[in-house]
Amino acid sequence: MRYELTRFPLVKAVLKNRWPQLVVYTVMLSGFLLAIMDGLVGTPVGNQNYAIVFVWIAWWAILILAAVPFLGRGWCAVCPIPLPGEWLSHGAILAPRDGKKPWLNLRWPNRFRNIWSQNITFLLVALFSTVVLTTPLVSGGVLAAMLMVAIGTSLVFERRAFCRYLCPVGGFIGLYAQAAPLELRVKNRDRCVQCAGKPCYNGSAAGYGCPWQVFPPGLTRNTYCGLCMECLRTCPHDNIALNLRPFGADLEKPSRRMDEAFKAFIMLGAAMIYALVLLGTNGTLKSAAYSVGSLTWFGYAVGSLVFILSILPGFFWVSVRMGQLLSGSIDPMRHAFAAFATTLVPLGLMSWIAFSLSFVLTNATYILSSLSDPFGWGWNLFGTAGITWQPLLTTLVIPMQVLALVGGLLWSIRIAQKVSAETHITPLPVAIYATMATLTMLGLIL
Amino acid sequence: MKRSEILARCLVIIATLSVLVIPPAVRWFNNRQAVELHARIAETGGWTPESISAQAGTPLHLRLTSDDVIHGFAVGKLNGPAVDVEPGKVTSLTLNFDKPGKYTFYCTRWCGLNHWRMRGTIDVTGKGLVDPQPAPAPLYMTLNLDLDAPHPTAVIPVVKPSAVRGKELANAHPIIRYLIPDYYRSHSPAQVYLDLRADPSLTILKDPQVWDLVAYIWQQNTTPAELADGRQRFARNCAACHGETAAGNGVFADDLAQFDTLGTSGDNRPVDFTNPITMLGASPVLLQGKIIRGGMGTGMPMWGSIFSDDQIWSVISYLYSYHFEESIK
Amino acid sequence: MTTPRFYWLLFELAGLVIAFFPLRLHFTEPQEQEFRIYASQYAYSPAKLSVNPGDTVTIELVSMDVVHGLYIDGYGVSVTADPGQTARLTFTADRPGAFRLRCNVTCGALHPFMLGKFQVGTNTLLWRAIGLSILTALAGVFLFKPPSQIKTA
Repeated sequence: MRYELTRFPLVKAVLKNRWPQLVVYTVMLSGFLLAIMDGLVGTPVGNQNYAIVFVWIAWWAILILAAVPFLGRGWCAVCPIPLPGEWLSHGAILAPRDGKKPWLNLRWPNRFRNIWSQNITFLLVALFSTVVLTTPLVSGGVLAAMLMVAIGTSLVFERRAFCRYLCPVGGFIGLYAQAAPLELRVKNRDRCVQCAGKPCYNGSAAGYGCPWQVFPPGLTRNTYCGLCMECLRTCPHDNIALNLRPFGADLEKPSRRMDEAFKAFIMLGAAMIYALVLLGTNGTLKSAAYSVGSLTWFGYAVGSLVFILSILPGFFWVSVRMGQLLSGSIDPMRHAFAAFATTLVPLGLMSWIAFSLSFVLTNATYILSSLSDPFGWGWNLFGTAGITWQPLLTTLVIPMQVLALVGGLLWSIRIAQKVSAETHITPLPVAIYATMATLTMLGLIL
Repeated sequence: MKRSEILARCLVIIATLSVLVIPPAVRWFNNRQAVELHARIAETGGWTPESISAQAGTPLHLRLTSDDVIHGFAVGKLNGPAVDVEPGKVTSLTLNFDKPGKYTFYCTRWCGLNHWRMRGTIDVTGKGLVDPQPAPAPLYMTLNLDLDAPHPTAVIPVVKPSAVRGKELANAHPIIRYLIPDYYRSHSPAQVYLDLRADPSLTILKDPQVWDLVAYIWQQNTTPAELADGRQRFARNCAACHGETAAGNGVFADDLAQFDTLGTSGDNRPVDFTNPITMLGASPVLLQGKIIRGGMGTGMPMWGSIFSDDQIWSVISYLYSYHFEESIK
Repeated sequence: MTTPRFYWLLFELAGLVIAFFPLRLHFTEPQEQEFRIYASQYAYSPAKLSVNPGDTVTIELVSMDVVHGLYIDGYGVSVTADPGQTARLTFTADRPGAFRLRCNVTCGALHPFMLGKFQVGTNTLLWRAIGLSILTALAGVFLFKPPSQIKTA
C-alpha cells in the first residue's frame, strides 16, 4: 500500500529544484555554525546557551519525536554537516560543474562498509553524554569536530562517507527510519534494468550520483537513503518516487545484519542507562557519569558498556535460543539472532521517545528564553529572555510516555510474530524479553 | 560560472558570515562602555576581573553575569542594595563613587565553602569628596586587645537573664554609669556582672537579679530594629557556617573543622555562640575585633572591608540575644 | 464461534478497564507530615517522599553548598534555600500520583537533572502501566498470529 507524493507536479518540482533545498541548507548551516560559536564563546551555563538548548532540547525533540518516526531520514535530508566538505569537493553548491572532478574520491574500504564504526562513535558520544549535554564548550567542540571530520572525509573519500559510515546520529536515524511512513523508491525496476549509464548512481549533468552510496533500484529499506533527492534529479526515466506507506513497512522484511542488530541493542541500552542516570534521583550516579576521567566515571563507563554490549544482547541471545529449542529449529543462531533483533527497532524508538518526552517538555521553556538571548549576554531579541523556567504539560507527559512504551511493546511483538513466521521459531521468549524491557523503562521513567 | 551558482555562493557566504560576525560585534559594542564582570565559585576563579578601576564622580557601568551558580554582588561599606548575579543572564548595574579609595566588592549569595573568598576591589581615583579627617581606628585596636586570647568565664547565670526584669530592677537601683556605650562595649557580660556584683549599692540583689541587670544593660545598648538587622545579617552571612541557631553547626561546619592554617591541630569548627562560657566571657569589642579581622587560623573571614561598624555592632547585639531574654515569654 | 475480532474487543476493553477504572486505595485520614530535605549538587536527601492524599505537607529545604530550589511537578509550588537559610514550604497534597521534585535555581552543570520523587498515595499509574504492558504482551502473542495460522470465520 503506497501513496506516491511525487505524483503531484508541485511536489516533484519543489523537490527537484535545488533552491528550496539550498535555502533550508543555508538556514541549517547558519544555525549549526551559530551553535558551535555559541558553545565556544557564549555563557558556560548550559540552560542559557543556545548551543545546548537548541541542539539538545529543540533539535533533539524535533528529531526523535517528529523527524525520525514520521520522515525517517528526513533530518539527513537537511543536515548541514556534510555540506561544506561536499561543496568544496564538488567545487560547486548547486548543479555539478562541467569537467570538475571531486578530490581524491577514494572508495570507503570494504572492511568498514558497515555501521560498526557508527556504533562505536555513538557509544563514545554516549559515554561522555552527561558532559556533552550540559557543557556548552564541550557541545560546541563535539559539533565542530563532527564538521571537521566531515570536511576531511569529503576531501579524501567519495560521496558522503561521513554520513554513511561515521556519523553517530546517522546510525540510529537509519535504523529507526525503517519504522517511518515515508520512503523513496524506484517506481518500476524494469525501467532501471534497461537504463544505460545508471545516472542515479553515477551522476550526470543534472545531478550527482547518490551521495549515500545507495543504488536506487536496489533500495528496499529506508536505512541508508538520506532523502537528498539527487536521484530524483538525475533519473532520465522519471522512475523515482517519494511515497507514503504504512508505519514500519521495512520491518516486515527483517534485516539479518549483525551491525544493525547491535545498533538496536546500543540504542535500547543507552535509553535505559540515560533514564536510570538522568531521570533517576541518585546523585552519586550522576556525578560518576559527569566526572569524566575519574575512577568513578571509568566504573560507570565500563558498567554501561557491559550492560549494553553483553547483558542486553546476552539475554536476547538466551531468548532466541530458547525459542529455537522450543521450536526445534536448526537455523544458525546468528541468523535468528539478527532477524529477531528487528523487534528491538520499535521498542528502542519508543523508549527514546518516552525518555525524550520528559526532559524535552520539562525544559522547553528554555527554548523561548534562549531564542531571545542565545549567548547569555543579556540580549532580548524577541522579548522572551525573561521567561522563567516551568515544566510544560506535566499531567500529559506520563500518559504519553506510557502510551509510547506500551505501543512500542505491541508493535515489537507484532514484528516478532512476523519474524517468527519467516524463521519458524516461536516468538514467545522474545516477546517476554520485550515485555521485560518495557517494564524496565516504565519503572525508570515513571 | 553560472549566475545561479554565484547567487548560491553569495547566499551561503552572507548567511554564515553574518552568524559568525554579528554576535561578537554586538557584544563588543555593548561592552565598550561597561565592564563585564563574571562570577564563578571561588574554587574555579571567583570574580573576573578581580580588580576594576573607576573614577570618582564618573558612573561605573557593570554588566554582571554568573558562569555557574547564582551569586550576588554588593560593594562593601557603600550601603547599596545587593543585586543577584544569575547564571547565563546579565544584570546591569551602575555605581557612583563620591570618594576615591579602595572599595571591596563581594558575593552576597552563598555559593560554596569558599563563598566569602569571592571578593574583588574597585580602585577609585581622582578628586572627590575628601574626608576632613581620616576614619577613626576600630575600638578593638584603640583598646589594644589580644583578639586571640581565650576568654572563658567562670561565672554564668543559672537561668537565662531577663532584660525586662532587669529594667524593673534598674528603676529601683539606678546604674547609670554602667549603661554608657563605652562601658558596655569594652566589658564582657561576665565582667559587667562582676562589676555590678562588687558595687556596694547592689549588694542586696541576688545573683540572678544582677544577671538581669546585665541583660538590661545589653538591651539598653541596642534597639529592636538593630536586633532585626543583626538577625538578618547573621542569617545571610554567618549562618551557613555558624548554624541557623548560631550553635556552630552550619552546613559547612564539618568541612571547616579541618581548616587549619596555624597548625593548632584542634577542632576548628565555627564557634558555637550559644555557649555561655565563651560568649559571656567575650566583650562586644572583642567580638568586633574578631569579626573585622577574621583569621585566627580558621576559616573565619575578615569583614572589615565589607560591613560598617554599625552593621557589625548589630550582629554582635543579636549574638548576645541567645543569652538574654528580651521580652517576657 | 469466537473470532479474532472478538478477542481484540476483549483485549481493548480490558485495556480501558486497567487504564481508567477508578481505584480508591487510601484509607488513612489526612495528617500533617514534615520533611527535612538536604539539597546538594546534584541530589536531594531524602530523594523520595511519600505521603497520603490530603496530607498537609511541610518541606524544610536545607541547602548544603549553593543556592538550590525545590519545585514539585504537577503542583507547581516551589521554594528556594540559600545555605544557612532553611526555607519552608507548606501545601496540601490533594493531587494523587507520582511526581518529580526538580531544582528550579540553576545550581551548576547538572542542574536540569537534579531530581527527587514525590508520591501521593500509591503509584496507581505505574501499576496501570504494568498491567497494560502485560495485557499488551498477551494480546500481541495471542492475536498477532502470522497469516498462515489465522482462522478465518
